[in-house]
Amino acid sequence: MDVVLQQFINGVTVGGFYALIALGYTMVYGVLKLINFAHGDLCILAAFIGLTVLTSGLGGANAGALLLAAAFIVAAVAVGIAGAVLEFTAYRPLRKAHRLSAVVSALGASMLIENGIMLIWSPQVQVFPANLLPDLTWKIGSASISFVQVMIIAGSLILMAALYFYVHHTRFGTAIRAAAIDQDAARLMGINVNRVIASVFVVGPALGAVGGLFVGLYYREAYFNMGWIYGLNAFIAAIIGGIGNIPGAMLGGLLLGLFNAFAAGYVSSSWQEAITFALLIAILLVRPTGILGERVAEKI
Amino acid sequence: MVAPRPTALGRARRALGPAFWLLGLLVPVLLGGSWISILAIFAIYAIVALSQDIVLGRAGMYDMGHAVYFGVGAYVTAILNTRLGWPIFATWPIAIVVAALVGVVLSAGIVKLRGDYLLVATIGFNIIFVLALGNNVADVTGGPDGIFGIGVPQLFGTALSSQGALFYLDWLALAAVLLLMRNLERSRIGRVFRYLKEDELAATTLGIDARYYKILAFAIGAGVAGAAGTLFAVQLASVSPGSFVFTESVTLFAIVLVGGQASIPGVLLGTALMFVVPQVFRGLAQYRYFAFGIAMIVVMVLRPQGIWPRGRAR
Repeated sequence: MDVVLQQFINGVTVGGFYALIALGYTMVYGVLKLINFAHGDLCILAAFIGLTVLTSGLGGANAGALLLAAAFIVAAVAVGIAGAVLEFTAYRPLRKAHRLSAVVSALGASMLIENGIMLIWSPQVQVFPANLLPDLTWKIGSASISFVQVMIIAGSLILMAALYFYVHHTRFGTAIRAAAIDQDAARLMGINVNRVIASVFVVGPALGAVGGLFVGLYYREAYFNMGWIYGLNAFIAAIIGGIGNIPGAMLGGLLLGLFNAFAAGYVSSSWQEAITFALLIAILLVRPTGILGERVAEKI
Repeated sequence: MVAPRPTALGRARRALGPAFWLLGLLVPVLLGGSWISILAIFAIYAIVALSQDIVLGRAGMYDMGHAVYFGVGAYVTAILNTRLGWPIFATWPIAIVVAALVGVVLSAGIVKLRGDYLLVATIGFNIIFVLALGNNVADVTGGPDGIFGIGVPQLFGTALSSQGALFYLDWLALAAVLLLMRNLERSRIGRVFRYLKEDELAATTLGIDARYYKILAFAIGAGVAGAAGTLFAVQLASVSPGSFVFTESVTLFAIVLVGGQASIPGVLLGTALMFVVPQVFRGLAQYRYFAFGIAMIVVMVLRPQGIWPRGRAR
């Protein structure tokens, strides 16, 4: 029973950052029908920026709450700006082109960011020092939950709740949803669709940046090409929940985290990714629109 | 059907392909050792890229796992040659058939999926395939290190051991695939692919079995990629999972889009940009992919149809 509880805690932690990263994929897909292949790399860029802020601030001692907050804010703002620049330079000119042109542009952007990280921070694995965060653990029965896990679970739940509120209960959030349903109609209603798209490319990467920094703090390492695999996992989470659907991405992230945690107990780690992708293919075949995606008649 | 009278420009264009190929025959005579193998690799990847184009550019299916079929061909040759001692040329047809069968089996389940969903499923196949190779499934793939010591092809008692001989083998295979592409373009099957890509609903209302032709596109594309796999295994004398990872599929996908969908010169140009240009800038290795990323964005923004798009349908 306690093993189950422990796996549940680990699964929710991993699910938390998958969900945060997945939100960026799903928001962009919802509005532009584009798989932003650079999103995973943007999120991992945040881990590097955050690490630089954290290590530059204090030598040796625990990072204080203030420094930790600064790291998250700097990472989120920088990556949010990077997302906006990317949208403006690489995607906006291609909005009227064949949709695969934008996909290739996204693949190029991914390559650019990944190798940019390598050039700035070196190809070596960057280790997060052990003393960055307080070394606290709480016991729940015989299962335990660490400070970093509490931070990730709480942080991702708060951010998801905030995003949900923003998208469903504000005027601009309504504009985002309207643009996702029908861009032309939204434009006719006086919505500035360009601004909506730009904002999606700021908010998505900024949330993903927090997720990426969580990844770094949790595994205590970051390497330049890890964006692909976290990006793919988060993307799978978005599909599981129903791509384009914001609550779906949250649900998908948590489910994928739990699935990974429990599968890890039964299959060897060398097969874990294969299991994830097998799950993905199975879901695509049975219900391609995901759990919360609406069953729409195929657009022709 | 009466063919329209070719114009002077049209004739010149038509002569461009054969001229390019004939010029290639001079490579082993004029260029040094490392260039021969670079251009041999170019020929092999050109075949794979053309096979990717059959599925992606011609039949319009977003296949981002094409390295799987290339890898199947390479591993079939490697396993049959090193474990069972088969001559290379005897493994070639098997590699083609097995790769095509893998293409049929994998695609049969997923061709019903729409655009992006198909793309994601094929990524999944690629990742599972590479994990299976690395985990040494059935104890024949050699794990993460792969398989070494693949033999030299023998033709009528002569060993094709020199780089030049292997280059000619690859170059001849490329010619065969170019002819296949040309015939495909003019055949009923090629027209059906194009129709399915442009308007699947209209095609099905005319009685075209979309599912059958989509699987057929995968079978042909996978078979051609498998043929290139054999050449690749021979060229390197070894195979390992790293050559068939998902990022290789991404590169193949990008080649077709950057060069020009369903455009033979476009795909060849794309292959040259992705595989030959990096060799020229080897000294700048660490900046190479950074620059590639920028180049991919710039090309798409300036020429969304690709550098050398397909001409108007004749």
